[in-house]
Amino acid sequence: MSWRRLRTLIVREIRTQLRDPFTMTILVVVPLGAMLLFGFVLSTEVHGLRLAVLDADDSPASRRLVDDLVATGAFDASMVRSRGEIERGIVSGTIGAGLVIPPDFARDLRSGGPAPQVEVFYDAADSVLAGNAEGYLRSIVAATGAQLAARPGTPSRGGPTGVAVTTGVLFNPTLAGKPFMVAGTFGFVLSFLTTLITTVTIVNERMAGTFEQLQVTPATTLEILLGKLIPLGGVFALDVALMMLLAGVLLDVWPHGSALLFWAVSAFYVSTSLAMGLIFSATSATAVEAVQKTVLYSIPLIQLSGFAFPIRSMPQSLQWFTEIFPATHYIRVSRAIYLRGQGFWDLVPELAVLAVFAVVQVAAAVRTLEVRA
Amino acid sequence: MRQSLARILAVAWREATLLRHDKGFLSVVVVQPVIMLAMYGFLSQKPANVPWAVLDRDQTAMSRRLVEDVATSGYFLPPVAVASYDEARRRLGDGRALAVLVVPETFRRDVERGRPRVQLLLDGSDPLASARIAAYVGQIAAAFEPRRDVEPRRGALPMARPPEPVDVRQRFAFNPTLSDRIFLLGGLGAMLLTNLCFSMSSHSIVGERESGTYEQTLSLPITGVEIVLGKLVPLVGVSYLVLVETLLLEGVVYGLWSLGSLVALAIVTLPFVLASLAMGVLVSSLSRTSAQAVFITVFFIMPSFILGGLIFPYQLMPPVSRAVGGLFPLRWYQIAMRRIFTRGGGLEDVLVPMAALCVIFVALLGAIRLRLKPRLG
Repeated sequence: MSWRRLRTLIVREIRTQLRDPFTMTILVVVPLGAMLLFGFVLSTEVHGLRLAVLDADDSPASRRLVDDLVATGAFDASMVRSRGEIERGIVSGTIGAGLVIPPDFARDLRSGGPAPQVEVFYDAADSVLAGNAEGYLRSIVAATGAQLAARPGTPSRGGPTGVAVTTGVLFNPTLAGKPFMVAGTFGFVLSFLTTLITTVTIVNERMAGTFEQLQVTPATTLEILLGKLIPLGGVFALDVALMMLLAGVLLDVWPHGSALLFWAVSAFYVSTSLAMGLIFSATSATAVEAVQKTVLYSIPLIQLSGFAFPIRSMPQSLQWFTEIFPATHYIRVSRAIYLRGQGFWDLVPELAVLAVFAVVQVAAAVRTLEVRA
Repeated sequence: MRQSLARILAVAWREATLLRHDKGFLSVVVVQPVIMLAMYGFLSQKPANVPWAVLDRDQTAMSRRLVEDVATSGYFLPPVAVASYDEARRRLGDGRALAVLVVPETFRRDVERGRPRVQLLLDGSDPLASARIAAYVGQIAAAFEPRRDVEPRRGALPMARPPEPVDVRQRFAFNPTLSDRIFLLGGLGAMLLTNLCFSMSSHSIVGERESGTYEQTLSLPITGVEIVLGKLVPLVGVSYLVLVETLLLEGVVYGLWSLGSLVALAIVTLPFVLASLAMGVLVSSLSRTSAQAVFITVFFIMPSFILGGLIFPYQLMPPVSRAVGGLFPLRWYQIAMRRIFTRGGGLEDVLVPMAALCVIFVALLGAIRLRLKPRLG
């Protein structure tokens, strides 16, 4: 191991990469693009959901209810004349939900007798959308109903009505999707993209035959590989900083916790991806094979790491399974720092797990190379 | 025209023979649907096993009943009792609790006076889950019946009346339990076909260029578009096979059969498959080596899953993301597929997505024509 030779190799690698527009684009544009694309896609709000209303009562009270639903911006109401229209609308996808107000809505509301029954139909084929809309609609109906029923001059409904809930949200008061997705996107980019880029650059070198040329120089295999990995790792670490800036400036999402800690953890985490990339490229004969291995490894990682689907909602056995992906732990740490502002000492257990993964994977990579060299 | 067709078919024949001998390709076609199907049957956006804590300052039978009502709703793990706000915040802060229910000292008295109120602290770092949890707890609390132990239950109560001023009866069409499995599996076919079409088409064009056989084909009396179309024909066939395989597996394993017309599904699949394949070809014409091609396609596949609306509903995305998503064939196909498969729609319900797919295909073909001028080097 000679520092001088290593330095020469690093300089060579940086020069090669700088001349290759394709690689440079991928190294800089794709992480930033991913951040922009994914930052915006998750929303917990219901907005402009098309609601068909069959108002059989057509009283001031029923109109008030519809107005209140529309006023929040969550629903975009249109009047229909029959239940058939609602059902057809749901099947053909022109409406997302239908509301049926019974003929005696206003009278029942004030009489103190049985509560009026409104019916709501949801297009639950879009289950996420319907689930969000359900909570919204019920809370608006309950609030408006209570106000209408409590108008002066109307008899009290007698006795207490259920318990009211005041919600206080910590860390992300508007329940915005952006910070959640931004923190997850780091996990996606640093697990998937970095592994893929590492694989491709090393395989390309082997395909071009320059790898063999390097091997006949006095440089050892370890030096050659470090000469490739160190510049790559440096670029990835730079990418992390760029992504943090982009998320901050364009999406207005800054880490709640220490930015430096986040950057350091991310830069360290990249080593596991570099190691995986190394393993995939060393064990494949062709570039396509190497890339396909990476993709195969990455697809379950994206679905099961908590990036898109909450791990808590999976069956227990699958939950255990997700723990074997380093990305699961990294995304957990990323969200803890970005959203909850946790510090180093709070995260020691998760960080220790990440360190173990890094050591094991780097060791496996070195072993693979020793066998092949 | 007739000759052109003959040339296209000749290329198609050659491609089909090649594919038949590609073991890796065949295993992807057979194995991938099985893996994805197993995974997507168990993923869900719905909160479950939610860890939560209770700060019960009232400590009466009444407050414990409210806690029990929430705990038995099925979304939550057994609650952990905390003694102070500080402890509650700490639990939320390190992720050991996603929600904390705070019951005030005066809860029992408030119930008797008729205006009980509790506080729910949520962890905003998981916004999707928190929004749903707030809705669940709000509904459970609203339905809380304090009377049950204010007066001893001796049939003294009249008819049990819903405590809410308006009784909301809900029905979830096509998916009575609001399960995400139906949502995700409804779009699985679209996901698998996108994967298949993108990777196969890019692979076949660039791979040929690398091995030098592309130049040989160019020397034949055939145009670039004819080569591309010829290459697409066998892949279209494979796509239909994968679609049938997926639909069968979904039916046999999860009992989910298409509610709508399979003929309509088959018809709308054609422009989608063609558009996706064309997109793969165009993307791969931007790259020089097959490693680059696979690389670029992977980067088209992931965003198209997210922006196309397979995982998160596209209806909730901001206008720009929605517009960008509309450029991907997957967006329109998943709309059409879910309309037919999950909602039982027919061909007349998917005319708009189908028109969009045709427009995308024609536009892509035009772009490929510009890009793939027969040339060497």
